[in-house]
Amino acid sequence: MNYEIVIGLEVHAELCTATKIYCGCKNAFGAEVNSNCCPVCTGMPGTLPTLNEKVVDYAITAGHALHCKINRISKQDRKNYFYPDLPKAYQISQFDVPLCEDGYVDVIVDDSGATKRVGITRIHIEEDAGKLLHHESFEDTLVDFNRCGVPLIEVVSEPDLRSAQDAKAYLETLRSILVYIGVTDGKMQEGSIRCDVNVSVRPEGSAQLGTRCEMKNVNTFSGAMRAIEYESRRQMELIEAGGTVTQETRRWDDDKGVNVLMRSKEDAHDYRYFPEPDLGVIAVARERVDALKASLPELPNAKLLRYMREWGLPRFDAGLLVENPEKAAFFEACTALGTAPAKAVSNWLLGDVSRILNEKHWSLCDTRLTPEGLCGMVAMIEGSEISNTAGKTVLEEMLLHGKAPAEVVKEKGLGQISDTGALEAVAREVLASNAGAVEQYKAGKTNVLGFLVGQCMKASKGQGNPALLRELLLGLMESMGTPRY
Amino acid sequence: MLYTKTAAELSSMLRQGQCSSAEIVREQYARIARVDGKVRAFLSLTEEQALKTAAELDGRRAGGEALAPLAGIPLGVKDNICTKDVATTCASRMLESFVPPYSATVMEKLEAAGAIPLGKLNLDEFAMGSSCENSYFQKTANPHDVTRVPGGSSGGSGAAVAAGMAPLSLGSDTGGSIRLPAAFCGVVGLKPTYGTVSRYGLVAFASSLDQIGPLGRSVADVAMLYAAICGGDDMDATSINREYPDFGRALKPDAKGKTIGIPKEYFGKGVDADVADAVMAAARALEGEGARLAEVSLPSTPYALNAYYIISSAEASSNLARFDGVKYGFRADEFEDLTDMYEQTRSQGFGQEVKRRIMLGTYVLSSGYYDAYYKRAKLLQQQMAEEFAGVFATCDCLLTPTSPTTAFKLGENLGSPTKMYAADVCTVTVNIAGLPALSVPCGRDGDGLPIGMQLIGPKFSEQTLLDVAHHYEQLTGGWNQLPEAL
Amino acid sequence: MKIDVAHVAKLSRLRIPPEQLNQFEQQMQEIVNMVEDLPQPTVDNLSLRESDAMELRPDEVKPSLHRKLLLAGAPKKQAGCVVVPKTL
Repeated sequence: MNYEIVIGLEVHAELCTATKIYCGCKNAFGAEVNSNCCPVCTGMPGTLPTLNEKVVDYAITAGHALHCKINRISKQDRKNYFYPDLPKAYQISQFDVPLCEDGYVDVIVDDSGATKRVGITRIHIEEDAGKLLHHESFEDTLVDFNRCGVPLIEVVSEPDLRSAQDAKAYLETLRSILVYIGVTDGKMQEGSIRCDVNVSVRPEGSAQLGTRCEMKNVNTFSGAMRAIEYESRRQMELIEAGGTVTQETRRWDDDKGVNVLMRSKEDAHDYRYFPEPDLGVIAVARERVDALKASLPELPNAKLLRYMREWGLPRFDAGLLVENPEKAAFFEACTALGTAPAKAVSNWLLGDVSRILNEKHWSLCDTRLTPEGLCGMVAMIEGSEISNTAGKTVLEEMLLHGKAPAEVVKEKGLGQISDTGALEAVAREVLASNAGAVEQYKAGKTNVLGFLVGQCMKASKGQGNPALLRELLLGLMESMGTPRY
Repeated sequence: MLYTKTAAELSSMLRQGQCSSAEIVREQYARIARVDGKVRAFLSLTEEQALKTAAELDGRRAGGEALAPLAGIPLGVKDNICTKDVATTCASRMLESFVPPYSATVMEKLEAAGAIPLGKLNLDEFAMGSSCENSYFQKTANPHDVTRVPGGSSGGSGAAVAAGMAPLSLGSDTGGSIRLPAAFCGVVGLKPTYGTVSRYGLVAFASSLDQIGPLGRSVADVAMLYAAICGGDDMDATSINREYPDFGRALKPDAKGKTIGIPKEYFGKGVDADVADAVMAAARALEGEGARLAEVSLPSTPYALNAYYIISSAEASSNLARFDGVKYGFRADEFEDLTDMYEQTRSQGFGQEVKRRIMLGTYVLSSGYYDAYYKRAKLLQQQMAEEFAGVFATCDCLLTPTSPTTAFKLGENLGSPTKMYAADVCTVTVNIAGLPALSVPCGRDGDGLPIGMQLIGPKFSEQTLLDVAHHYEQLTGGWNQLPEAL
Repeated sequence: MKIDVAHVAKLSRLRIPPEQLNQFEQQMQEIVNMVEDLPQPTVDNLSLRESDAMELRPDEVKPSLHRKLLLAGAPKKQAGCVVVPKTL
């Protein structure tokens, strides 16, 4: 029996607003425990929530980016349950009137740029809960309320995904979009993006959906893939063995690579949703909704496809540039100048520039590199004015001191000698002083050529154009009766 | 005897240098020491701080500073209103040891105005009750007859003012909790339009119905206190920003030309004859002063109590879920695991009435029951708001009894929750519709117990209600008489 | 409708001692029977009115409460956190 796997994802993204969703506490990661809290976010008696306007803006912006219908008029609801990380014993969320609904995102599924459309059921706003801290040596649990009230958007996809790869691509695309529009920092290691995974299986060709299981505690995208693979296999094995899949919530353990039952349908929470009486109607002016749509930048997928089409970049390279909005912006500034080939610029950005940034833990904005500088350097290499190696030196100088490439070349004497006449003289000189090597080459040891080129480079203080030198050496030896291998 | 004066009189005396705030405060504490043993209105007193504040204000006044009307005037505060660094217990074991690190917005406003809190007043636990008998700590007695209840849930607020222990008090009203004690204790009490007084710092019972409001022995006093606490608040998204008049200053007797509606559903067979007669007598007195009476109908009234208990219990069940023993308040001593801790804590921490309301609220919101109960109650609420709006198209205000009976005996209604709930039948409609309502005394029954009448108006019509009541007050000579027995 | 007191108590994290259960169930059923009496609704939807819109709060940081004050009333605390029985 062949099965089709059906996956739906619920992604929670922490919004990077300055303050929490219902109070003025700082919205920041990594603070000392219980140091970003107040009576409101810790649910003290008599306190009341006040909705942060940026949260609504960010949610609507995300809705536009995901082609959703925006509900200009909506409300919040209480989701009631008892847990120590939830101080009010209810989470303020949205139940039946989310801010955004009925959208979609086109996910790139292969290197040719082919896309698959994944439906977005809804996006709603809600507050995050605190953190529970455990340790095997400690018999109790500690509660840190810092994260209480951090604003979240929950993005719910339609069950349109059919494989773990699909899911990973969707998650990466979604994250990339949300980072691009500036609503989240997307730092997975800080828990800025989390997802719950819903998996069901059905016989291939069947139109009916199978019973789905929900998995919680999936903290990375590759973890999501592993969770999907495990759960789909678990369900298929269960069915093959004659059992039926029951609706459950299961907890994924990425270290062990398994999931365990958390709650069965009977134990499922009765959240007793009802409209939040402490908050009024959320009404967003039409002008504001339109203004937020107009403020959308070019989204990452569109950008990626454009880089592939317009500049001929391979998908992988385009993806790396797009992934980092700063690098993408820099790249576009370079291509706008039109003074250097886009592919070469991209190679340098993704190669040496990125290497140096990583080493020094810098962002582009921390350096003195300008698009004019980089393009200037690339153009000089393309025009054989300097060698690739010299280029690396020029680059470092530009990153650190912002000097113009021509200036650096002049200062450090990096100009590549491509004057055939001068180089021929050097080549003759080297051949004359290395007769033994010439003999070896005649005898068939072709890699001696590299040594000879090296000697020429040494003699020209590294400024000789190595490709040209190679040709000159071969030509000279040929004229001396050495065959060209 | 300063403790027999109204707040307006004291304010005038202070301005004219006829007494000091320190003298007033000392006299009040002396009065409390003499009579609160019998009344048991106060849960805690803050004498040291009160005297300190009084001295400060006297100093400032002596230095020539012009102070607000309320400056130097003492008041009692219902113990479900958070007062920074002063225990706020909600008359519950659950919060017996809770000391908030913040004050309610109304307390901050009063502090800025120079009002002097004397202490915290008893209430039904978490404001759930109509007799003040559901307090974990003590049962407050009605100053007019200490074998009877003062009304609830702001029983301490009504009793303290009636007994001369404070000229003013703050209460809270969700289904009648200011008006009922005002009626039973023979004082004036105002439940403001929903949203005109910040709820920040009021321990929530039913978020969409709760309002903090003033009690006093005269209409002017209540107007003065209301003016000091009303206003929009950034900390309360349900509070309303608008221009609020200076209610005290603008007060004038003004029943002439007003159309007063008499809704027939409030005079049904559940209402004591004494009560109905007294309210109608008051109506005719106002008619004699140039008001026009009109019989009106509010057909949804019989269902109001049911809708009220559904909506308020639903919201309460959610609002009280935070009392879980985790981060503040009571936690049970022994438990096996987390669930056990929750259950033990909440079962030991809450009294019976609170538990009943939580259970009812959880039930009506639970899966499968939401449509039948909560949704239907909310739809009725919409309907009631429309009915009131219809009636106010032709009436300036309505006149009804505040409660179907006068103060009942302590213990009389404790055996039957539903019998106790019936005390609210005239008051809950007002909270459901978010309207303002003022209770003023309008006579005594055969046993000499105070009878209260209620003036209800459209939203933001407090000035009208106060003016009509003030007119009636002048006719009757006012209600600033302390019970002879105390 | 019949109220399942045991189920509702569990949802509310309340425990009624066995000796009180009978009376409690009776009282709860009496209350439920009373409040059930509501008219049939004439309209079916609870409308959201733009006129009921609330003002939103600007995204400006305000000082937090010092941890010492925050935890002052905590029944049990350790290492700057509140302590509860093991959850996992």
